[in-house]
Amino acid sequence: MFYYICLRRRARSGTRGEALTSRRAVESGQRAVLPVSVEVEQYAKEVLDFSSHYGSENSMSYTMWNLAGVPNVYPSSGDFTQTAVFRAYGTWWEQCASAPPPFRRTPKGFCSQDYIELGFEEPVYPTAVEVLETYYPGAIVKILACSHNPFSQNPPTDVRWEVLWSGGPTKVLTSQARQFSPKIQHINFPTNLLRLEVNSSLLDYYTELDAVILRGVKERPMLALYKMPMIDINDLSDSEEELSDTGVPFRQGGDIKHQRTGNGYFDKLPYELIQLILSHLTLPDLCRLAQSCKLLHQHCCDPLQYTQLSLQPYWARLSDASLGHLQSRCTLLQRLNLSWTGNRTALTLTGFSSFMKACGVSLVCLELSCCHFLNEACLEVISQTCPELQGLNLSSCDRLHSQAFTHISKLTRLRRLVLYRTKIEQTSILSILTFCIELRHLNLGSCVRIEDCDVVTSMLAARCRSLCSLDLWRCRNLTDRGLAELVSGCRMLEELDLGWCPTLQSSTGCFQHLARSLPRLRKLFLTANRTVCDSDIEELAASCPSLQHLDILGTRLVSAASLKKLLQACPRLLLLDVSFCSQIDMRVVQELCGLFPNVAIKKSFTQ
Amino acid sequence: MLSVLSYGRLVARAVLGGLSQTDSRDYSLVTASCGFGKDFRKGILKKGMCYGDDACFIARHRSADVLGVADGVGGWRDYGVDPSQFSGTLMKTCERLVKEGRFVPTNPVGILTSSYYELLQNKVPLLGSSTACIVVLDRQSHQLHTANLGDSGFLVVRGGEVVHRSDEQQHYFNTPFQLSIAPPGAEGAVLSDSPDAADSSSFDVQLGDIILTATDGLFDNMPDYMILQELKKLKNSNYESIQQTARSIAEQAHVLAYDPNYMSPFAQFACDNGLNVRGGKPDDITVLLSIVAEYTD
Repeated sequence: MFYYICLRRRARSGTRGEALTSRRAVESGQRAVLPVSVEVEQYAKEVLDFSSHYGSENSMSYTMWNLAGVPNVYPSSGDFTQTAVFRAYGTWWEQCASAPPPFRRTPKGFCSQDYIELGFEEPVYPTAVEVLETYYPGAIVKILACSHNPFSQNPPTDVRWEVLWSGGPTKVLTSQARQFSPKIQHINFPTNLLRLEVNSSLLDYYTELDAVILRGVKERPMLALYKMPMIDINDLSDSEEELSDTGVPFRQGGDIKHQRTGNGYFDKLPYELIQLILSHLTLPDLCRLAQSCKLLHQHCCDPLQYTQLSLQPYWARLSDASLGHLQSRCTLLQRLNLSWTGNRTALTLTGFSSFMKACGVSLVCLELSCCHFLNEACLEVISQTCPELQGLNLSSCDRLHSQAFTHISKLTRLRRLVLYRTKIEQTSILSILTFCIELRHLNLGSCVRIEDCDVVTSMLAARCRSLCSLDLWRCRNLTDRGLAELVSGCRMLEELDLGWCPTLQSSTGCFQHLARSLPRLRKLFLTANRTVCDSDIEELAASCPSLQHLDILGTRLVSAASLKKLLQACPRLLLLDVSFCSQIDMRVVQELCGLFPNVAIKKSFTQ
Repeated sequence: MLSVLSYGRLVARAVLGGLSQTDSRDYSLVTASCGFGKDFRKGILKKGMCYGDDACFIARHRSADVLGVADGVGGWRDYGVDPSQFSGTLMKTCERLVKEGRFVPTNPVGILTSSYYELLQNKVPLLGSSTACIVVLDRQSHQLHTANLGDSGFLVVRGGEVVHRSDEQQHYFNTPFQLSIAPPGAEGAVLSDSPDAADSSSFDVQLGDIILTATDGLFDNMPDYMILQELKKLKNSNYESIQQTARSIAEQAHVLAYDPNYMSPFAQFACDNGLNVRGGKPDDITVLLSIVAEYTD
């Protein structure tokens, strides 16, 4: 009683903020929390890592670095340069031939497509996270907190990530700005490193984020002592702890009781049927099931269950040890997804090369997006252990220096290569193109170190005749000469992304030539080219009947009339982006939408 | 070889000023702005810091104070392009670059280059052109770094005299150097100077130095002696006095611009080149007036 009175007296003399918090706590029915410190509110100090963005690598327009600091746009809504914008939205990219098929066993709770990691100044126990979304909100699907302080000089040890909140992708009814502040879990460590994961597949246009606010208290709230968070059984089903236990062999000779009951009728099922049942389990469940009995251990460790392995949903917990434990079952591995894993020293060359040596022999597809642990030695290992490799994704592996990429030229069966946002230079890519002549899909988006894109397209035209899709987003020095050579040599091209390539001039006739040369064309992005004109649209209408996706953002020279011709001539058109085309106003867009209801006509706006 | 007197003065200052002879205090700029758009819009802040087709910005960062002016080239209006969009966006972008620390104080031309590059990264198809003048005070080194492209410019006044000034950059009469984004196809017909063409300079400043940054609307209508006369009235370095002086300079220039009989510097220059004209030059006027003062948080 006396103790309680003392506490109350302290509350009365506390600051207004503290009193408010305790009153709020009382009102919400919890036992009163008497905070020993006031709530700290911070904007992000620095953007530490991210998977993609719309803007250019040395720019502050539409780039992820805009998420740090105070908001520039909120509460206004609109398509502004000062926001953080990811590279893609909707399902348009998944519809393309260049998209890899999804991996089996992806847990339902994992739907993240992109991520961004933010460092804050002060580590706090988070009480709230607010995200200021200023355009087409609804993409955030997960918020996580890390125990490691990214600004400390110490190397990361015992890095833990806890989920503060997770939910499904949503689509808010309007494109208006909103403050997204979901109810977050309490965690028992202070954090100044947050990670947001997004999924924009339901959105009608690029989502744009302005700022993130982290609210928390400096000292551990006393509530944690009274009320431990309930361990939700659902949380465990996606927990990754099991991966480290997979090596534990099943111990023989248990209870006599168990031996008497045996496996019931289960082991009367045909082997293939049990395998089929198990193929529906997520990886942690599979590993857990392996420990239940000898029969299931045999089934769950059967390499046939591991022809496809996606470890991306478990990025937070994957370590060299986990790879080591999985190694023995992955001898028939064909498709491996290690995207987003291994950062902050979780994976090393040793663990990775040991795994690749054991499992690379039949590997056909290898996803290594945002794997910052990769170095030249790792790529060398890949080139040595994966002779059958057809697909390699090194998207946003921006710590690899150019020399490392030359090892890829040894992978002569390569059909799909993604080098988005890497630092590859001309000599390396030319070396790759000389030997990897079976390339069908090549992504060189935002490869800013390539000095002369014309030379690269020339080499493509000479060597990679089966090229089906090419992404040259933001290739700053591609000219009509290089484009002409490309379309003469690679006649099978169906997808071509030339967004933000400012050196292409329509007056050279390059776009008309392109249209005439590529009758199979299904996707063409001429985003922000500014020179695209009516003649180009008319030529596309005449020559490219299979066109499905077209982006002509930001040109003043295209009229409604030529667009009508295009829409009439291309019955398969699904996406048409006419944002910031000055001759195409909302009235025209509405008219076209009415006439061609199957086409998603996009018109973004700033105000 | 120092004279006995000046040496004595140095010693006295050292003794009086404490141990160090060099001034280790941080400096800063206290800046006020004023301006008038050409068509009698009296200093209406359109989108903040815009006067007609002129635009300006004042920004601070940890290590530096930065200001700039840009004069939008009015000729674009004849082609349906709003000239204030280019200059306004350019200045706003410079401001953002400075606030986010994406600049080097010793390289003001870099601010122009980065800003121009960012304009090209905008989804909106910007058109237009403008001059630009950027002034950076490096707080610790007490140096002023400037970049000037075109016929806007700055003056540095110390002890009632002009000690530094920028040079006008003109291609020919009434055609200053300018940053521009042209419509496709018209690149040959439209004057477009690279940000690298800007003149740059660096020099020391002292406490009490007055820096006047302005567009040609001021300099074409008010000769130096009139400006200096107004600046003499500046008594102290607090913001209100600076604001008042900036306003009086801008107002005076605005009045003179519409005086048909006044021999303005613009008219004088025209006469010197064989054109028989008289009177002021109606134009947008933007004035940024700064004093170098001690840095206070």
